[in-house]
Amino acid sequence: MIEKITPVRKSILANIRIQRFTPSEHKSAYFDNFKVSVETGMTVLEALRLIKNTQDSSLTFRAFCRSKICGSCAVRVNGKPVLACSTQLMPILEDFKKDSVSIQPLKNMPVLRDLVVDIEPVIEKLSKMHPYLMENRERIPETLEEESIMSKQEHSRFDYITDCILCGSCYSACSAASADPTYAGPLTLGKAYRFSADVRDSFQGERMQAAVDQGLWSCAQCRKCINVCPKDTRPAVSIQRMRKMSIDDGIHDTAGSRRAKAYTGDVAKYGQVNKPMLPVIVNGPKGWAAIEAAENYLKKHGIEPTLQVCTLGGQSSTQKIYDKVKELESKGENKT
Amino acid sequence: MSEKIRYGFYSGCCFQGADARFFDILREVFAKVDVELDLIEDAVCCGSGVIEERSELTSLAVNAKNMAHAEQMGLPLYTPCSTCYNVISNAQKRMKEDPAVHAQVNEILAEQGLEYKGTCKLTHTLWVFAQDVGLDKLKERVTNPLTGLRVASYYGCHTRNPADIQGYESADNPTSLEDILEVLGVEIVEYDTKDDCCGYHLAWPNNDLNMKMTSNVLEGAHTKDVDLMVTSCPLCFKSMDGTQAKALAQTGKNFQLPVLFLPELVGLACGMTSEDMMLKYHGVPVNLRL
Ligand code: SF4
Ligand code: SF4
Ligand code: FES
Repeated sequence: MIEKITPVRKSILANIRIQRFTPSEHKSAYFDNFKVSVETGMTVLEALRLIKNTQDSSLTFRAFCRSKICGSCAVRVNGKPVLACSTQLMPILEDFKKDSVSIQPLKNMPVLRDLVVDIEPVIEKLSKMHPYLMENRERIPETLEEESIMSKQEHSRFDYITDCILCGSCYSACSAASADPTYAGPLTLGKAYRFSADVRDSFQGERMQAAVDQGLWSCAQCRKCINVCPKDTRPAVSIQRMRKMSIDDGIHDTAGSRRAKAYTGDVAKYGQVNKPMLPVIVNGPKGWAAIEAAENYLKKHGIEPTLQVCTLGGQSSTQKIYDKVKELESKGENKT
Repeated sequence: MSEKIRYGFYSGCCFQGADARFFDILREVFAKVDVELDLIEDAVCCGSGVIEERSELTSLAVNAKNMAHAEQMGLPLYTPCSTCYNVISNAQKRMKEDPAVHAQVNEILAEQGLEYKGTCKLTHTLWVFAQDVGLDKLKERVTNPLTGLRVASYYGCHTRNPADIQGYESADNPTSLEDILEVLGVEIVEYDTKDDCCGYHLAWPNNDLNMKMTSNVLEGAHTKDVDLMVTSCPLCFKSMDGTQAKALAQTGKNFQLPVLFLPELVGLACGMTSEDMMLKYHGVPVNLRL
């Protein structure tokens, strides 16, 4: 049976609150309100153009391709970074159950004017990550006639991140980048992983050092970058994988790598993370001070402190999982 | 006597040391709304997203194991911890999207006679109260409405990001926490840093940054002159309450903001006392005019 679908066309007279700011004129940012009749299907970018054409020609925003490919139009709508050209307003009005919506520039980057930010500082961080391939002689053929062939699985290790359009949405959403301006941020570490995971690359050591130096272990794994990325490139997953590579190469001993080893080992041993001893495991002897402080806190509250880890019931069977995974991984047969 | 709602209780790693009190608190508060928790006996730690930094397959396998046990019990898997929820949900999604991975995980589990079928339903405190118990029943059980209390609500990140880890509510505009709080009678106060991350998972790799991030979130709420912050995540609770003094001292701020774990506030509104909720164990003193 063929069902006839009649699209429901709606229209809401909405209040669009836009953040305005011209550094040479204003001390701080402020909001302007524009009334716009938002129709079904109308994108954020269309609304911005409509306002510019009919209400305030000084409104400044950036856009180019209008097809979710140039990455220049990212703004925050009700706080969430989105591409203006590929985001419709009606579903947002409906989701928030309001006939008002705010549009602001991306966070964590200097505002040049109104909705336009300067992404240069982020690109500079990216350039320090060596975001290019250095040929791996073992995988690049001698003659031009031959191709460098990689398996589907090798390709899938980084394929998903090549779609990144450098829109900056993830960087805007990242609280670690807000709190630490030296942190490279999701898109830069994602790109670093993309090249390091490529079998045609041989530059891993230096790029890894750059990643570690620029905050590979400063990501809180909040996963907001995954949520906002319009291209589904999953930066936080790449960061986990880059961390794995950095531990596997055996050079980078950091608090983060010690935590990863401790958690992984503990779960096999106790079915549980050995929280009471973690300070010493991760931070060495100076961790005893933290353990002492925790013990004093417990005593003060009438609880007898213990350095015993509280095991979980699955403890006895977990080692089997580890052994089997190890066997598969050592043969390169793991499907992950 | 109304019908009990039952869950397979996945306890995670967060309730150790002084926080072990939350096992009892959760059970008692849930009993107030006819919820019963059956501990998933053979569970293991979800790995907190950290085991992935060693082996993704290991993480998937241990979490498939956790879900397989819930499936055997015929109950939805409930975890109070947002990170456990995130990691387990992520594992579920990964195996659903990639049948080859799912099959391999089951091959690993077969050695202990387990199978993860993929039918396990996952839930979290937020949706237990807001949807399974329901706001109507919760309202019935509120005997001590917390009227006049100015509250900053804080979800934290791991029940929200990315959007497809939960199908309970809008990811961009979740309301379960505020819906629950409204039923408890409090006044909900908006603040700027509500969507920011507390940085808990940086406690070990980059503690200074964890402290800065926690301090930022707290300050945003503090400037709105709230009486307290309530969070649905036990790890955010650790950051916001347990490390608050350190975080504020390190960032040159000087205030105290009491922080409650959501079940505690529900308990108080349902007539339980500060002693029942063992509020004396909080890092930041909680002196509520109840
Ligand atoms: S997961 Fe890491 S990189 Fe992504 S937004 Fe969170 S802190 Fe930033
Ligand atoms: S990773 Fe995604 S959100 Fe970040 S810059 Fe690239 S496309 Fe934009
Ligand atoms: S205008 Fe190019 S991505 Fe939106």
